[in-house]
Amino acid sequence: MTDILRSWIGSALPDWLIVLIAYLLVTTIVLFYAVGNFIMMVWAERRVVARMQDRLGPNRVGPAGLLQPIADAVKMFTKEDIVPRNADRWVHLLAPIVALAPVAMMLAVIPWGRGWEPIDLNVALLYMVAVSAVSGVGLMMAGWGSNNKFALLGAMRAVAQLVSYEIPAVTALLTVVILAGGMSLLDLPYMQAGVPIMGATILCGDPAGCSPLLYSTITSFPGSPSEPVQALDLGLGWWVFTPVGLLGFLVFFIAALAEGERTPFDIPEADSEIVAGYMTEYSGMKFATFYIAQYILNFALSALAATAFLGGWQGPGVAALANMGGPWVHVAAALSAFYLLAKIWILFFVMIWLRGAFPRLRVDQLMDFAWKLLLPLALVNIMSASLVVGLTQWTSAQWGGLVNLDGFAPWQRQLIAVLVTAVINIAATYWILSINQRPKQVEWDEEELVVAP
Amino acid sequence: MMTEIQTETTEVQTTRGKVYVIDRGQTRLRAGQGLLTGLEVVFRHFRDALTRKLEKPSQQTGVFTVQYPEERLKLPEAFRNFPILLYDDETGQELCTSCFQCQRICPPQVIHMTQARDPATGKPVPAVAEFLIEYDACMSCGLCAEVCPFDAIKMDHEFEYSTDVHGGLTLNKEALNRPISYYEKIAPTFWAEVKDSAMKKLQGNMKRRPDLIGVAPQMVEKIRAKRAEAAAQAPAPAPATTEAAPADKAARLAAARARAAEKAVEAAPEPATDSAPTDKAARLAAIRAANAAKKSEGAAEAAAPATDSAPADKAARLAAIRAANAAKKAAAQRDGSEE
Repeated sequence: MTDILRSWIGSALPDWLIVLIAYLLVTTIVLFYAVGNFIMMVWAERRVVARMQDRLGPNRVGPAGLLQPIADAVKMFTKEDIVPRNADRWVHLLAPIVALAPVAMMLAVIPWGRGWEPIDLNVALLYMVAVSAVSGVGLMMAGWGSNNKFALLGAMRAVAQLVSYEIPAVTALLTVVILAGGMSLLDLPYMQAGVPIMGATILCGDPAGCSPLLYSTITSFPGSPSEPVQALDLGLGWWVFTPVGLLGFLVFFIAALAEGERTPFDIPEADSEIVAGYMTEYSGMKFATFYIAQYILNFALSALAATAFLGGWQGPGVAALANMGGPWVHVAAALSAFYLLAKIWILFFVMIWLRGAFPRLRVDQLMDFAWKLLLPLALVNIMSASLVVGLTQWTSAQWGGLVNLDGFAPWQRQLIAVLVTAVINIAATYWILSINQRPKQVEWDEEELVVAP
Repeated sequence: MMTEIQTETTEVQTTRGKVYVIDRGQTRLRAGQGLLTGLEVVFRHFRDALTRKLEKPSQQTGVFTVQYPEERLKLPEAFRNFPILLYDDETGQELCTSCFQCQRICPPQVIHMTQARDPATGKPVPAVAEFLIEYDACMSCGLCAEVCPFDAIKMDHEFEYSTDVHGGLTLNKEALNRPISYYEKIAPTFWAEVKDSAMKKLQGNMKRRPDLIGVAPQMVEKIRAKRAEAAAQAPAPAPATTEAAPADKAARLAAARARAAEKAVEAAPEPATDSAPTDKAARLAAIRAANAAKKSEGAAEAAAPATDSAPADKAARLAAIRAANAAKKAAAQRDGSEE
């Protein structure tokens, strides 16, 4: 964006102003994109859940009820803003802002398309995790500032849930960090080029005879030497197709559900128990701000999950279009943006699906689930990820002579890594599930229970 | 995961009615299987709700929403909202005899009526003069319809009465009246059960109702025209030639005059101290009617050889009788007022 502006009005304005304008423009676009998606998500959630319950959902305002969010927004704007008499006025006012702002900041580092990233941050993953944790402060402020026991209970639950689910989420993301060898989100989609399971390890034998539509230049992939190679690229080398990526994705997605307070982890706002949790004392636009924060958080977490495990904007045809050069690069960018959006929406559909299917967990079940199931799985997965890196990239010297895979082709090393990690992950999953099983009911012998006179 | 075989319910007929047996699939699930089964069930509902509506009770999936103003469920016959009054389609006669049973039984006391009186004699007639129901306070208990010995008051299926005009919910007889055919449409079996006895009772009551008393207000004009037509068409059969026509006309004229006289009498204020003018008019009408009758009789006699003049004769006689009645009525009224 900065470059485009420079080329257009570079001579008329000082450079710092151009940079400022460019970033303001990008911020506006990203925020509009997120809010537009929020509006559609509210509509889609209501319609889809309705179908799951054999209903129709909102279908009166506009075609298929599409204008319903606008009607809701008008309602929200015109509602009275109520602040309880004993509430802490300033904390009460600031809470929704503190909840929304970090969520909006998360959008800055996500690569929305091929070459469409607002900011290239080399610690983007760390930044995502850190910033998303800040919104917990907003929730706590809301609960505390409302001076209402339900709000405080909800806030306590929310913070407890956020803090404990951050651990499996971060641990699951660590696998990505290990696989990618860095924390930049920008590189992740490039690394997930190639074909399912094998990734970008199927190299072109004859550099002259490889069609640019099928093969593209890969600078780095698990097991590659440092120089660029031509590898078969269908845009489907997503990590979710490997055992490590699959387990990591499942753990991260479940933890993301809990962080986004989606059913079955909507304990902080369990409306049947504690009214609406920390949002109890909010009305009008303050409530709407929380609502937006929640949906955009879900949107951002879906985008993160998609980028980290589902290949981000990577998809069939993107690399081929980009290889054609010229204006086709922009087409490739648009196509890649569409792929990411489609992945986000599929993940969002799964969220709705889970909401339609499962009841809410109890607080103790929630904690058990995080600490006894997700965290051990994530830890095992880190080990598997390390093994993948070792098996695909390390030389015999790095292994200390323990394993010697130097003679194998990249695809053979990848296959070995996949098989080894599959065995480890399946065994670990089975074992952890079995030790977490409910103990068998002791069957009492009725005659023994009869107390002798 | 998804099976093509729909877990459709099966209908089983038992001695005590129809029973739907639902196949719930596996009952024992291993760890985690329950979650997947739940997801599968929800997805099946989602998929089917996109494509079909829930039509029969044995179906498990499909949209069950009835989009009310556009789509409506068929109301059961026994559905009841507010009471209505019935009248006969043919004669326009109301079934109500103002026996006051419904007014007495009504728990919120929203039914009010006055009995019709014979204007000639001042005696009560088995018909209702005015009937009011306050729909806004009606509790839709249906006791009025159950207690009515003449099946004159029935519970309606119409339920969209929301309004911002409170007074508009007090309905008079004209607003409450519905033809029997309407009730037969909304509750065919219920009407079939009571039809014979109700119509029989109505026939009996009609005999005790003078002229248009007891005719539904909205039907009065029609019935009047019908009667006039009946009177006119009386000599209709066969080639009614030129001779028959005058007689016919005369008879009609007589009838009309007699009716006018009657109306005049009816219109006369009851406590009229000075009833002479109307009286006079009535008498005049009677004389005229009689003359006309005589004339028409003559004409009928003249026409006799040509056609069967009996009906015309009858019409004329009817007119005469009416005229006499009118005169009598007027006399009675005059007597009453003089007293």
